[in-house]
Amino acid sequence: MPTVSTESIDVFFNARSVAIYGASASQNSVGQAIVQNFIKPQYTGKVYAVNPKYNQVLGIPCYPTLQDIEENVDLVVVAVPARITPRVFEDIAAKGIKAAIIISGGFSETGPTGAELEDEVVAIAKKHGIRVIGPNCVGVVDTHSHIDTFFLPEYRCSRPRPSNVANISLVSQSGAFAAAISDWTAELGLGISKLISLGNKCDVDDDDLLRYLAEDSTTQVICYYTEGYDESKGRTFFDTARKVTPYKPILVVKSGKGSKARAAASSHTGSLAGSDRIAGAAYEQSGVIRVDNFEHMFDAAKALAMQPAARGDRVLMITNGGGLGVMTTDALEALNLAIPSPSEELNKRLHERLPAYCAVGNPIDVVGDTDASRYDAVFKEAIESGEYDMFVVGMLLQTPSLGMDITNVIANYQRMSGLPFVVVSMGGAFTTKAGEIMELMGVPTYATGEKAALAAEALAKYGEIKYGDKFNKTLVSDKP
Amino acid sequence: MKEAKKIFKTALAEGRTFVLEHEAKNIMRAYGIPIPPYSTATTADDAVAKAKSIGFPVVLKILSKDILHKSDAGGVKINLKSESEVRKAFNEIIENAKSYGREKGIDVDLSRGVFVSSFANMGTEIIVGVTRDPQFGHALMVGLGGIFVEVLKDVSFRLIPFTESDAREMLKELKAYKILEGIRGEAPRDVDALVKIMLSVSKMVEENQEITELDCNPTFVYKVGEGALVVDARILIDSPNKKA
Repeated sequence: MPTVSTESIDVFFNARSVAIYGASASQNSVGQAIVQNFIKPQYTGKVYAVNPKYNQVLGIPCYPTLQDIEENVDLVVVAVPARITPRVFEDIAAKGIKAAIIISGGFSETGPTGAELEDEVVAIAKKHGIRVIGPNCVGVVDTHSHIDTFFLPEYRCSRPRPSNVANISLVSQSGAFAAAISDWTAELGLGISKLISLGNKCDVDDDDLLRYLAEDSTTQVICYYTEGYDESKGRTFFDTARKVTPYKPILVVKSGKGSKARAAASSHTGSLAGSDRIAGAAYEQSGVIRVDNFEHMFDAAKALAMQPAARGDRVLMITNGGGLGVMTTDALEALNLAIPSPSEELNKRLHERLPAYCAVGNPIDVVGDTDASRYDAVFKEAIESGEYDMFVVGMLLQTPSLGMDITNVIANYQRMSGLPFVVVSMGGAFTTKAGEIMELMGVPTYATGEKAALAAEALAKYGEIKYGDKFNKTLVSDKP
Repeated sequence: MKEAKKIFKTALAEGRTFVLEHEAKNIMRAYGIPIPPYSTATTADDAVAKAKSIGFPVVLKILSKDILHKSDAGGVKINLKSESEVRKAFNEIIENAKSYGREKGIDVDLSRGVFVSSFANMGTEIIVGVTRDPQFGHALMVGLGGIFVEVLKDVSFRLIPFTESDAREMLKELKAYKILEGIRGEAPRDVDALVKIMLSVSKMVEENQEITELDCNPTFVYKVGEGALVVDARILIDSPNKKA
């Protein structure tokens, strides 16, 4: 476990009193949108507006400075023009507040003048022990405490909700992506704990959040979107990540893959090494799982959040539709998972328990007229055989013979065996609803075999990271 | 390692950001990296004597603070099988260096003479290298030489330091890994010896952070049990006006 204190970061997510500096009475302004977030009933802490122009904003009292507020303030959200931020920080320091999120832009991202301003703010913050997220960011969303500094109206940018089963937290360098992901994951119904946009990372950076999220009990999987690291920050992220990955999965989407190798290299090695290749190696070495895009990230993260890591690469596919079975096993094979046929012994036992017209192999096709009982028989025998490390279950609900009790059967065997299960269920409205129910019971469900295979791959990959040499790798790949 | 620090100091004092071949090999030898027998010689007679004691065939290479790319300056002669070949090669190298200097308009320093080394038997050609990335720091690269590196860019990386199992994984990541395992009836290569070199280079760089880039190219890997040799080595270091 990382040992550096994460207390100074916790207040960003659990502040019980928040001041919005630059709170505004004008509609569609950033300063008003943020106040709006905090006056929703879900946020149960205290809210103060700060702006010398007003006596009140949206019905809450507005103060000329922080020092005019009598009570303690835990967190300040700064949404004022960049040039006056140093003055604002003097006020924050005088009030003795230890955490601030600077939403405003106009700092180092704009050039040397902005950079000077940023340095000035950082100097004040350092001197007074104030931790700072931003500037030039949308800040944080915490789905439990309802701290929400995203200045985007909810009808445009939905906020995700936490799941009772397992949750994902995401750190994004880009504010626009953080907002889009908020909106998208809300639509997907993915359980989210925290979304953090870091902006210019003038103080709080990837490492701070990694250490914090590693210890956060509401975060089961940590996701990052990054475009690269500041000087030597790639190395510190690597050092922290390798301590975290054995007990909590980390997923990364990194852009800038095409970044050129250093042109000025005078060695052969230097000319071959681009920063992105080195980053890829660092992820591999530290057990960080790199995924190609956000869709893959969410598919993988959902599986990793809800299911235990696989202890080996042997997957059994069970399906009530032949086509779905073949497509899914094709996808599993392409991802280097083993799809061994049942042993002679298991084969015999399955034949005894299934109608003769079921196809026993891998996949096992329990055929379209099945109810939950054939799945039950297959799970029981296959789990007892010890021949498989993971189950991918095809659940096509267009046939009326398969009742919703199938979800109970799947969830029960998953819990009893402690083995990872992934469900694939293609279809429309009824299927989608059934998938939601399946996920409430703790088993991740996907709309296509390819997505389910990707989820299975993530569970195997993380198993290899977590269990190392003890991971039962049966497939010797001939692929690089 | 004191040896390395002394060499880097000398190099910087001479305004070099690279170390000379014998210096690079002295450092590597101190870290237990296998290298063909070598020496240095400042005269033709000296070169012949050194070649005789090392044993033919030998390689001669120019040693000068003013020449980084030795081949470009006509400063490399390989597979020299006799005294007369060595003598001739020595004189040619010195002449070539002088005319290289005239072309570049510099007075090439020739006081160090040449590097004399045993001409290693051909093995499976490997490149082991190090780069220093601004975001991640030092990383080691490995790949099979020739077209695998030049055309296919078939190389893998790990940050330094890394473990033995990382090193083995790096090799397995290579598309050309099968060649090391032995294909078409060829005996498998001495992967253990290669892994040992990778780990030694890692240790060397870890203890000498001023190294910015390094190539062991080629490194020859022989049949299982017959080891591996770093045949050509290049080490680049921070310029003195940069912080280490």
